[in-house]
Amino acid sequence: MNAILLLVFRRVLVSVVILLIVSALLFCILRLLPVDPAAMSMPPTATIAEIEAKRREMGLHLPLPQQYAIWLGHALRGDLGTSIHFRRSVVQLVMSSLPATVELALLAMVIASVLGVGGGLLLFHMRGRRVCEQILDLASITLLSIPEFLWALFLILVFGVWLEALPFTGRLSSEFQRPVVSGFLLLDTLLVGRPDMFWDCVRHMLLPSLALGVAFSPTIMRVLRSSLLDVYQEDYIHQARLRGQSEWRILLRHGLKNAILPTLSLMGVQFGFLFGGTLLVEVIFSYPGLGSLTVDAVRNADLPIIQAVGLAYCVVVLVINTAVDACYLVLNPRVRVA
Amino acid sequence: MTIEMDRRTALRALTLVAGSAAWAGNVIDAFAADDAVTIGWPSDVPSWDPNQRFTPDAQPIFKLVFDQPLDQDPKLKLIPKLLTKWELAPDGMSLAVELRDDVSFHNGDKMTAEDFRYTFFERIKAGHKVDTANSWRKVKDIEVQSPTKARMIFSSPAPTAPQWLAFLGSYIVPKKYFESVGVQTAAQKPIGTGPYRLVDYQLNSRIVLERNDAYWGPKPKIKRVTFEIIKDPSARVAAVQSGQIDFTINVPVREVARLDKEPGLAAELNPMTRIILIQCRNDLGFADDNVRLAAHHAIDKTALSKAFYGGAAVPLSVVATPGTAAYLPDFKFAYDPKLAVALLAKSGFSPSKPVAIKFATTNGQFPSDFDIARAIQQMWKKVGIDAEIETIEYAKYFELNRGSKLPEATLYSWDNATGDPEIFAGYLLNPKLPFSAWKGQEVGDRMAPLFNIADYDKRIAGWRDLNRFVIEKGATIPLLQSVQTVVRKKRLSYVKYANGWILADKMSWA
Repeated sequence: MNAILLLVFRRVLVSVVILLIVSALLFCILRLLPVDPAAMSMPPTATIAEIEAKRREMGLHLPLPQQYAIWLGHALRGDLGTSIHFRRSVVQLVMSSLPATVELALLAMVIASVLGVGGGLLLFHMRGRRVCEQILDLASITLLSIPEFLWALFLILVFGVWLEALPFTGRLSSEFQRPVVSGFLLLDTLLVGRPDMFWDCVRHMLLPSLALGVAFSPTIMRVLRSSLLDVYQEDYIHQARLRGQSEWRILLRHGLKNAILPTLSLMGVQFGFLFGGTLLVEVIFSYPGLGSLTVDAVRNADLPIIQAVGLAYCVVVLVINTAVDACYLVLNPRVRVA
Repeated sequence: MTIEMDRRTALRALTLVAGSAAWAGNVIDAFAADDAVTIGWPSDVPSWDPNQRFTPDAQPIFKLVFDQPLDQDPKLKLIPKLLTKWELAPDGMSLAVELRDDVSFHNGDKMTAEDFRYTFFERIKAGHKVDTANSWRKVKDIEVQSPTKARMIFSSPAPTAPQWLAFLGSYIVPKKYFESVGVQTAAQKPIGTGPYRLVDYQLNSRIVLERNDAYWGPKPKIKRVTFEIIKDPSARVAAVQSGQIDFTINVPVREVARLDKEPGLAAELNPMTRIILIQCRNDLGFADDNVRLAAHHAIDKTALSKAFYGGAAVPLSVVATPGTAAYLPDFKFAYDPKLAVALLAKSGFSPSKPVAIKFATTNGQFPSDFDIARAIQQMWKKVGIDAEIETIEYAKYFELNRGSKLPEATLYSWDNATGDPEIFAGYLLNPKLPFSAWKGQEVGDRMAPLFNIADYDKRIAGWRDLNRFVIEKGATIPLLQSVQTVVRKKRLSYVKYANGWILADKMSWA
């Protein structure tokens, strides 16, 4: 337990440094873009003098390090500025969109894990059966080579348009009034005691999370199979067989437990990519998360939102990586001892 | 009793349950549809403060929750709304208005002339960050004579004040409510006088409105209106095709014919008061009148319309759309590549010795924008104009223009729901405004007096003359009247407005 707490503490410290570096980089890159935030925040009919006054009000006439220091001071007080397009607090906008993306990414991760681990075990199980192994191998490579946005279009076409079985826009059907408790809709529907609404929400999330999860699962499959093949060369597997343990028991108790560790590490690293992949998928499914907000922000050159969304992505990835490392520590006693 | 179920039986049962659930869902949808409508809309409202941002796509949504002092009929004629009478002074320096006395906001507060004054004067003077501060900057005061009578006083003539009372951002907001809860809260929990009230809103996702049964005007037939914000055009197509939404706009033009053949769906292309044009500079490679006029003569607008809008977009020769006051039906600017070559030759250019210019375009701001630019580039190349295309973000247009960084030609689109010529040529070609890339003073000098003419007929005659002058001068190149694509369930009828408004309070199920 102490080892886990120590790891979390260390990770928090490192995360603060990483966040500072990322925020400084983002700030500089966005300021180097040929976009004038002062002009963008004024109506088209604003005069040059009015824009200049706005520029001073926003502190844009100051040297870049000074601008960053001012921004950081505000950020530490929880103020990430005002959106140019929405003219609302950026923190408010990001916090209203973040839960939707986190929910989507987590469900996608669950789907990817189930498909990945299941597929990995199947691939491993079929080892040595030449035709089956080759077919499964080909299938996993095919899955791997199709990007998430193509999965999204394919799933919409099949389950949305042809079968008309699942909704593919928004988070909830129009007959439901969205409960607002934590912002996490799945959780909120349960908190207000509405299983029907919970199920409706899950149905809305199925296709976008499948699109993300399916695209991500082949990597897990292939790494798990390869790890299992390595693990099965170890002496303790042979010894377990000599002790007369069943193949299932060997697989679950010795094989999978050891082979899952590299897979877990990979999932932690890949979660960042999966979270980034939500951007396009959210737009395709009209899913109101950070992705939709980012697309709007880019279209309107809304720099404060772009900066805040960049930081939000960074925070989520750091949190997930810390959580994965903690899991790794729990599952792998060798690391705890080290 | 025990039931034994093998795998096959279980799968069959599961299929049956799933099938029944889907069928039941469809039956429920069919019944639920008669007093509800779900609209797939391409963009969200920027804020629920309707005075705050001028966003044309948000107006049909605002018009359901808020009311404007004046309204427009489907042919764009001004008609009463919250105002029963309005009269512009002969010098254009004031506008006397009379308001209805039977209008209440959604919270029950009565709407009075004090709310009118607050909306168009007090909140602007208080420094609220609203775009109406620009459209109503001429307002020096609003005298409230009684709860239903007021007089707007302007610092300079405002002949288009009545048009602006039915245009972008001009929605009356409740003074008492705004002052008691503050602007931020009022923008989060909006209260208007409109036919619907907001019951649920999720940023970038969904807007749910319910009929305001205490509405002062005609009661809408649809009780519940849901706007699903679907930004991707292909997703809107899929949603309407699968029946998840009942109505949508701005789908790709090429999809219209196909969707119209789908059973239960109707799809159409409606011309609207949005124009596609090329904004020209009066310097650099376009300093020479011959080059600009040649550039205009070289463009086959009919071919562009056929290629990109199925022939539904009307080719334009002036900066106005057919049916609006200053449109010139008898004035045609010819497509004549030979004349273009001759004009360029006068200035020493030819296809083998072309004039080099830059041509800016957006990519995805309006249907086929980038492809139109590429087609024009090819048309120009044939006559001796070598245009290098550069892509710009629409949001940066004004910033680039202010800094004189726009190139010689910029493909642009302009929306003017009022149809008034002042808001067409008076904005697009006014050298003093950031909308105009043209900074030549000859146009500005001719235009300036028109802003001060209060007499409607005289004013329109002036703008008609100007519309012809700017084309003959080569100050702009109007291309096409834009079209709005509409796809709907056949049973759902709506009213076609010449400015493209889609108003749910005018919809009904057959």
